[in-house]
Amino acid sequence: MQSYWFGDVGEGRCSAVTGDVNAMVSRILSLSTQLDTFTPPDWQQAVACGFCSGRADYLALLQAVCIAAAERSVREHYSGKDAELLQMVRTLDEMDTVVNLLSERAADWYMVRHPAFSRKYRRTPAHILVRTMRENSRGALGKVAGEIGQLADTRTALAKEVSARANDVMPNTSALIGGLVAARLMAHAGGLLPLSRLPASAIQVLGARTALFAHLKTHTPSPKHGIIFQHRRVHNAPRDVRGRVARVLAGKLAIAARIDYFRGVAVPEFLEQAQNRIDTAGKGDGA
Amino acid sequence: MIWIGDVLVSRGEGGVYNERMLGGARVWEPYRSKLAALYHVGKGVELEPSLRVLYLGAANGTTVSHVADYTEAVYAVEFAPRPMQDLIEVARRRKNVIPIMADATRPETYAPIVEAVDLIYQDVAQPGQAAIAIRNCLFLKPGGYLILMLKTRSVDVRKDPAIVFDETIAALKEAGFIVLESVWLTPYHQDHAAIICTKPAKPGE
Repeated sequence: MQSYWFGDVGEGRCSAVTGDVNAMVSRILSLSTQLDTFTPPDWQQAVACGFCSGRADYLALLQAVCIAAAERSVREHYSGKDAELLQMVRTLDEMDTVVNLLSERAADWYMVRHPAFSRKYRRTPAHILVRTMRENSRGALGKVAGEIGQLADTRTALAKEVSARANDVMPNTSALIGGLVAARLMAHAGGLLPLSRLPASAIQVLGARTALFAHLKTHTPSPKHGIIFQHRRVHNAPRDVRGRVARVLAGKLAIAARIDYFRGVAVPEFLEQAQNRIDTAGKGDGA
Repeated sequence: MIWIGDVLVSRGEGGVYNERMLGGARVWEPYRSKLAALYHVGKGVELEPSLRVLYLGAANGTTVSHVADYTEAVYAVEFAPRPMQDLIEVARRRKNVIPIMADATRPETYAPIVEAVDLIYQDVAQPGQAAIAIRNCLFLKPGGYLILMLKTRSVDVRKDPAIVFDETIAALKEAGFIVLESVWLTPYHQDHAAIICTKPAKPGE
């Protein structure tokens, strides 16, 4: 017997499905087919079954069911807690780029208007510079500086939200490396499930693609770290142990991501153990 | 295929992706669509109103909409949710597009839906493209055609495109396909090749 979307066919008999589109969608999403004995569905069988009246009817019904099924699959795909976090992180990183590019450009413009102005020997934070530009410039430049300030504020608010959301969605990974970096790792992998399937060695160099392929192609030294470099534990570690810290941290992150995906709650025993192990690696006496 | 001068077009409802219209027909850009490029380099399978097509890697449904203009029914398989949303919209406006959200490497998930088809068109960005075609050939009628758009960069970026091309052709031949034509899509698309095969009416013929 063969199960098709319109019903079951076999041994000279045929039973058409009944029920609404929703029930038919649930049915086709749950059907499993043995391919070695499979023959594709035939619309004339469906007509013989009394399921539909002809070719046009067959296609119209099939399309209605398939559109509903595809819509349901899309909705399910977006229902995971990580789906929105993914977009939030990517927006955040894009905003960073935009804010930096715009402030560089505006600063250049400002320097043309104020030939005596220079940033050398001054430790002016970026947001102060933007405010100075806004207050001292008339016309479009002042407005641009104002917009940059607004964008930067939005960016800060978004970063906070990303961090909070990451703590909720991936509590263990966030506890080890901070919400923001954890979210970035997840975004690079393409979601929490793909991240949890990555080996530790891949997590270690996630975000160091150029260096990794340069290594594979031309045998330059292999990258020691990718995104995880952003965490203070890695970038504050002395150069000679940085690779080790990155490796140990990535190992624990791989475990943390799996706990996050399959359990979804923080596991204090694991976290304590992992933190200790990473600290030992940083001190240089751990193997 | 319908040509107006040297412009490839298809007849159907326009405005799918702001495509150019020419004499009431939709212009099918070879630089955007690999299938259009294939017809522009002078190869390809003539699309006819009676054809049923299995389209693997349907993406946003731009090329799908042109294929649907020419043929009877298009089963459009796409895996990613983002392009699927666009594809569903295309299906809503065209009676003969059947959207399927599934992985082309696993035909068992959409087997109960897809009829026997006259043409399989495959344009997926995955490694193992020959294997995907072979797994899906159970939907292909004897004497039907397979058009495989080979993205050599998706198979292995480190390998020479020509080697990937040869390996894919060898794999298809071993699986019983007869390779009719194979052509690179330059200048329209870089590192992309089209392979046109047929399935023998009887095995071993």
